Amino acid sequence: MSSLDAFADAYLAWAVKASLGILSVSFLIIVYRIVRGPSLPDRVVALDMLVAVGIGFIAAVGLLTGYYLYIDIAITLGLVGFLATVAFARFILNRGVAGDATIMDEVKDSIRRREAGQ
Amino acid sequence: MSAVVTILAGTMLVIGALFALVASIGIVRLKDVYMRTHAASKAGTLGSGLMLIALAVYAADLAVATRALAGVIFFLLTAPISAHLLAKAAYEAGYRPCADTKEDAMAEVFPQKD
Amino acid sequence: MTSLFLINILMALAWAAVTGSFSEINLAFGFVLGTIALYLIREQVGTTAYFSRVGKAFNLAATFVYELVLSAWRVATIVVRPKIELQPGFIAYPLTVDRDFEITMLANLITLTPGTLSVDVSADRKTLYVHCIDVPDPQATIDDIKNGFERKILEVFR
Repeated sequence: MSSLDAFADAYLAWAVKASLGILSVSFLIIVYRIVRGPSLPDRVVALDMLVAVGIGFIAAVGLLTGYYLYIDIAITLGLVGFLATVAFARFILNRGVAGDATIMDEVKDSIRRREAGQ
Repeated sequence: MSAVVTILAGTMLVIGALFALVASIGIVRLKDVYMRTHAASKAGTLGSGLMLIALAVYAADLAVATRALAGVIFFLLTAPISAHLLAKAAYEAGYRPCADTKEDAMAEVFPQKD
Repeated sequence: MTSLFLINILMALAWAAVTGSFSEINLAFGFVLGTIALYLIREQVGTTAYFSRVGKAFNLAATFVYELVLSAWRVATIVVRPKIELQPGFIAYPLTVDRDFEITMLANLITLTPGTLSVDVSADRKTLYVHCIDVPDPQATIDDIKNGFERKILEVFR
């Protein structure tokens, strides 16, 4: 039995390290999309995803340290991320309807891309 | 028993991380904002939810499990709402979908303005 | 319906008081015992509807989790393909449910199911606009939603 326990502990240590690595890679990939754009909604979607990856990080660190208070932090981060996304969506809607110059440029860009067949 | 629980938690953690990775690949590879929202709202929610459940399984404590479950239900409820709000805001602001989009039933409700 | 649920909770509290322990596990056990007691007298006090409704609600929740896993898997298989060839599109879905709560529920369920994302509800609440990631045949998608989630929601909340 003790050999199985030892294997389980080694497996968990490996799993936490592997998932932290995978999450770091996805973090970098998402940052690429945030920098690249091309439009404001794209960036907001990527930021929303960044919060999900952050929650994953918190869960993995909680497993690593055995400190379960991290769950509360994860829930709070999820709440803040949701509110931020809602606020950004309102912003895009209001500025888009009001005809903000930057957003109109991006809209024209998206129409041009659609007509160019991309 | 505890060894089985530990192995289960580790496996769920890795699977959740893989779903998060797939969602971020989707955000980079898919073509327009509406398709990217698909990737973020589905695979992303499942990924972070699975990882929280893994923590709850490993803790094997009712107080922790209840909080983790509440968190997962909260994510499941909010992810569709934020995806829906973003897609609606983007469409009403005038962002057009990519050229592969043949069907566009919303075009008559929000005609293209320019 | 609601009163039966309250009676069930009262029975759980009574069980906890009788056994002298208000721990969560004992309360949950008391709740299960109360449910069993209500189930035994379902013919006499007319609780059959309560149980069939609870069963349908569980069925809806199980379908929801299953569809969520399926949809995440489908997104996964789509994005790791070497060449992404999709036909995305916005479709107009005619709504049968008409109450605000049911529309919200259906829109949320649609968003977390494979390849669909609800975008907007028309002002007269008769049409739901849905973005599909791959829709070679719009009518087939509409039929899928109609025979799947919408029917289940009607079963639970009507």
